[in-house]
Amino acid sequence: MQKNTYRYEQTAARLLVEGYPDLSASQTNDSIGILSGWRLQLVAAPELEGTREHLEALMAVVMPYARHCLSGVRRPFKTEQGFVSIGPDSEAHQLQLRSSREGVDPLALRLDDAELSDLVRCLDRLRLDQRVQLSWELPADQPLPRHELVERIPLRRRFGPSFLGGFALAATASIALVLPLPPQPQQQGVEATGPRSDAPIDDAPIDTEKSPLTER
Amino acid sequence: MTDVPQQSGVRLGRRGIERLDLLLLTIEALDLNGGEAMLWTSQQMGMQTQFPNRVELWKRRCHNPLRRTTRREPMAPVDAESLICLVCAMAERLYPMLHQLLSSREPDQLTQQRWNLLDERLRDLVEERMNPRRGAVMRLLDPMFSAEIQRQLVGTLALVAGPGGIDRLRATLLDPTP
Repeated sequence: MQKNTYRYEQTAARLLVEGYPDLSASQTNDSIGILSGWRLQLVAAPELEGTREHLEALMAVVMPYARHCLSGVRRPFKTEQGFVSIGPDSEAHQLQLRSSREGVDPLALRLDDAELSDLVRCLDRLRLDQRVQLSWELPADQPLPRHELVERIPLRRRFGPSFLGGFALAATASIALVLPLPPQPQQQGVEATGPRSDAPIDDAPIDTEKSPLTER
Repeated sequence: MTDVPQQSGVRLGRRGIERLDLLLLTIEALDLNGGEAMLWTSQQMGMQTQFPNRVELWKRRCHNPLRRTTRREPMAPVDAESLICLVCAMAERLYPMLHQLLSSREPDQLTQQRWNLLDERLRDLVEERMNPRRGAVMRLLDPMFSAEIQRQLVGTLALVAGPGGIDRLRATLLDPTP
């Protein structure tokens, strides 16, 4: 059976995949249906290699991380098995690879934005290569939920306006409580024009005799 | 090269259209002959009917509410998809330049000169085409914010370069407003 090797290069990253066509699935001789190995060379870093599971794990963390970076959300990603993890590292990104062999220390690589995009482009080209007929189980790129986008906004900017509004309201209310109430001029006016409360009611005689109604 | 859009397209919101046009503006700032290059690339991609000339391309971009002359009706989904594909194809063409700007292995002084040049060109384009009374445009011109925004735009172009970036860019442009 013919062994196929394909190479994807992008400035600082070079990915090489090797494998055989899956003849039982009627694949052509130049395709890869069974991945036998892969090697990734990043500039100023040791060469990485592994099995299909490792490559799938690399793709499963790097692609969603890149998608989140595009939306300004920088949060770490890790596979369930823990082979690969990636996360922000100040202005750069840290890719951590854990070997499935015992006694091998994990490898941490610091990638800048250019190296991350090189890696993403290599993985994109592998993913879209018609000759490599492997099913990559990657979630489709979707718009991020609102709560994830909100978290990228710093707390000061997120809660600043509402805090300032609440503070202004509380300050206005407390000042209003301290200020004395103004005298009520309307009450004085009523007292001047209306009947005096201390005057006896009997003081004002009612002339019932002169009333035209009583006359009749 | 990135192919003709396969999808019928999506309806972009206001923020999405603003961002898409800003990415095209950044491409123009990176490539002095960017306007012509966009038209040439769109024809290479088989989008002659969509963008037969520069005026048609400009009319699509005028859906951006931040522009001085803006079109009020919503952008057609097929136009949005074509512009997304165009951005990815142009980013692929300009990728070596994007890489130089983002790389920390380049000499600092040279990188700074490149960023200054981009800043100067982008600022000129923004002043020429965008409405300066808009808050977002003011932020683009404000030296306090402009460097960060420019880095985001260049980083976005690098991550969406090529055919593999189309889905990522589309999903990003559809993000809800936080």
